[in-house]
Amino acid sequence: MTISDLYTIMPIVITAGAALFVLLCGPMLLSASLTAIGVTASAAAGLWAALGTPASTQAVSGLCFTPLARFLIPVFCFAAAVTLLLSHSYNERRGIKGEEFPATVLFALFALCVLPCATNMLILFLALESVSFAFYILVSMDLNRAESGEAGLKYLLMGAVAAAFTAFGFALLFTGSGTLQLSGALARPDNRAIISAGWGVILVGMAFKLSLVPGHLWTPDVYQGAPAPVSAFLSTSSKVAAAALLLILLALFPPMPELRVPLAALSVLSMVLGNLAALLQQNIKRMLAYSSVAHMGYLSLALLSGSRDGYAAVLLYGAVYTAMNLAAFGAISSLSIDEERELVTDYAGLGFTAPLRGGVLALAMISLAGIPPTAGFIGKFFIFYSAIKGGSIALAIIGILSAAASAYFYLRVVAQLYMHRSQAPAPRAVSLAEGLALCLASAMILVIGVYPGPLLKAIDTALQ
Amino acid sequence: MTSLIPILTLLVFLPLCGSLLTFAVRRSDNAVRGVALAFSLAELALSLLPLMLSGQKAAGAPAGFFLYQDAAWIERFGIRYTLGMDGISAVMVLLTAFITLIAVLSAWGVKERCGLFFSLLLALQGAVQGLFLSLDLFLFYLFWEAMLIPMLLLIGVWGTGRPVYSTIKFFLYTFVGSLLMLVAIIALYLMHGAQTASYTFALPELVRTNIPHDIGLWLFAAFLLSFAIKFPLFPLHTWQPDAYCDAPVAGTLMLGSLLSKTAAYGLIRIAFPLFPEASRALTPLIYVVAVLGIGYFAWIAFAQRDMKRMLAYSSVSHMGFVALGIAAWSPVAVSGALLQMVNHAITTGALFLVVGMLEERADSRDLSRYGGTWGKIPLFSFFFLVFNMASAGVPGLNNFVSELIILVGTFRVAPLAAAIAFLGTILTLVYTVRLVQEVLFGKEKKPLELKDLSPREAGMLAVMALVVVYLGVHPGPVLDLFKTPLEVLLAK
Repeated sequence: MTISDLYTIMPIVITAGAALFVLLCGPMLLSASLTAIGVTASAAAGLWAALGTPASTQAVSGLCFTPLARFLIPVFCFAAAVTLLLSHSYNERRGIKGEEFPATVLFALFALCVLPCATNMLILFLALESVSFAFYILVSMDLNRAESGEAGLKYLLMGAVAAAFTAFGFALLFTGSGTLQLSGALARPDNRAIISAGWGVILVGMAFKLSLVPGHLWTPDVYQGAPAPVSAFLSTSSKVAAAALLLILLALFPPMPELRVPLAALSVLSMVLGNLAALLQQNIKRMLAYSSVAHMGYLSLALLSGSRDGYAAVLLYGAVYTAMNLAAFGAISSLSIDEERELVTDYAGLGFTAPLRGGVLALAMISLAGIPPTAGFIGKFFIFYSAIKGGSIALAIIGILSAAASAYFYLRVVAQLYMHRSQAPAPRAVSLAEGLALCLASAMILVIGVYPGPLLKAIDTALQ
Repeated sequence: MTSLIPILTLLVFLPLCGSLLTFAVRRSDNAVRGVALAFSLAELALSLLPLMLSGQKAAGAPAGFFLYQDAAWIERFGIRYTLGMDGISAVMVLLTAFITLIAVLSAWGVKERCGLFFSLLLALQGAVQGLFLSLDLFLFYLFWEAMLIPMLLLIGVWGTGRPVYSTIKFFLYTFVGSLLMLVAIIALYLMHGAQTASYTFALPELVRTNIPHDIGLWLFAAFLLSFAIKFPLFPLHTWQPDAYCDAPVAGTLMLGSLLSKTAAYGLIRIAFPLFPEASRALTPLIYVVAVLGIGYFAWIAFAQRDMKRMLAYSSVSHMGFVALGIAAWSPVAVSGALLQMVNHAITTGALFLVVGMLEERADSRDLSRYGGTWGKIPLFSFFFLVFNMASAGVPGLNNFVSELIILVGTFRVAPLAAAIAFLGTILTLVYTVRLVQEVLFGKEKKPLELKDLSPREAGMLAVMALVVVYLGVHPGPVLDLFKTPLEVLLAK
């Protein structure tokens, strides 16, 4: 390993170093400076990755700064930075103390940065599970609320099952291809049966991670129980990570025709049931959880097309979805008072009493509904474009009709924010960090919505 | 000059700048009104400018377009920022600028969240202008959808009655239609790309796609559904009375006068030229819903006691003529339909305004509350009469001309449809006469204190009345503008 090798994986070094630093020096420092260190480290890692050039050789055994990593690491870093910015005043209000919170976020980010760099199935699996491990802790971080602990436990149990499936899947892929190295792992035709069995088992594991129906059962409880900034991070980064893992494997083990039907079924069930269940929710975080089920359904629709366009759509949707959900959960987090505002009706009139946060929440809802000129529209357009191009017109129409129905529950939030006379209790003034986080996420939504060209170009290079 | 100043981009983005600026100065109601008025006047002036250029041809533009702008936007999909103006767009843009100015003036009295109201109004104007100018199907779709959010909030926040219910109903109806249109747009794009290897959303290119008949039918049906909902055509209209009634006056004006025109424009500019065969095949269906609409809605309007609801039904009934003219797809009929779009916007818009003024004064839209206004508030009653006469199709006023042209144009291709539609006009006469008779000359049940028009209101109505008379006696210049673009559109 040379110095230049180290340079290429610098984002990983930065995030790992920051996580350790925060954990070790945390007791001596103010919590505000811990957040500042975390945000700086995420921003530095993200910028480093975005400005770097992908390497063709491994930096250390099992890690290589791939083009995919160059695209995904900034996305993850963005999510982590926004989460840290949001969590500072949220944690103060909620009495979540100590350096564990920023340290765990940074640790999750470190694992997220490793994942797209992995060149080895074991590293890939370890990165994925480290991400989950950090999230088990983050979800149950709020010791004052019983739901938080309950959510943590539920997520841990479900996550462990999913991890077992994924590990088994990797084992089968290893048996089929005879190597753990991803680069050498092209399927041998005579081992096709074992490899497709491996694929099937991995798909089950990923259905849990992506919360595709029927692996979605943990999602509403976890989103509801977790502190809002954690839901923001969890609902974006862990999904993108799981999608990235599928993309990495799909690139090496070409899509098997026998996978089409299960994936199509998962996708349709998620789109339809996710949106239908979200229609019935009164709790905004549960609503967003079911909406996330539906959105992952759209995402797997693009995966299903098995084409370069489809994979590009997956990456675009990952970035877009990150911006939208960070904005939505960010607004929820920042609008929370002594308790979180659970019900949709708790947001009545907030569009006028808290214009910035109300506006951001409304923008996030409009974007999630896929209405131009927001990023959500571009994302949906690309997804349905790739699906139709891939020949799944019927699936695309089912998806689009369920998306049309979904507009109802997103608009209900907008209607509460702006169209109801009854006034919910006003929130505290928005803090600088929260304001910055919300503005960043909304700027992302609008910029991608109006001028997605550069992002699309970055995605095309990431897929090379 | 035209190459130096990007007039088309200005037409779209001037209102958007106005929208941002009104929002920025929202602390002071007077500043908001001033900014909104200044921007809508500037937009009107700007939209008059291109009329002097008609007849020229812009560099690089498709036939018939005298202003044209084109830039790469999202290269990966071949999406371009293409704006073009031909005679049809020029008239629609001018109409939009005019109606928005009236809407801004009519909303002068809005007290609550005045800044946001005008900001949304101007944003809506920007989206409508963009829609009338876009020549890239993706851009068109973007503006088509972008109209939804400002309208949603205008009805929901400032509406009366059951605003949230009405606005969400309006939104869901239009959203379902437009998403299916999006599928059709993508399918068409892919089909064209596969045939020519150039992936583009440019309308003049897509028109040349070879579309198999059965697929064309489905695609056309998706476009038709989306436009028919916004139009609205017969069985898809149920959102419309609620939305029109519960919207604030300026919102009703935008919705009834402009948003319904975007649907008609979409049929003329996009759906019919893209799918000539499929549209031929489905023409009988459009005849049926158009003719049914004219008669049925006039009949329902007759049964209403709520004046705004009556006007809402009257509005769709008149839009039936537009649909009839488009379905006939002959130069005469379509130019009649385009003229009817202008006339309908002005006449129906003015009627919604006068009823809104009456409601402002007595806080009721119930027909039976009013009577004998002719003697009490003469200025108001005069305008009330003029616009109702225009709506009833009295010769010398605007609607008469366009409805006649449509009937004549349609009669040549579909005599039966034209004949039945003609009978529908008689029903229009019935409810209009009753409205006028009861409000102006009937006997008042409980005396109301009514004030006559303020100078602002009288000024607005006077300008609209002048336009009504002008288009009634001298529609030639407007019809001339439609001539060249229609030759191009109907050539296929």
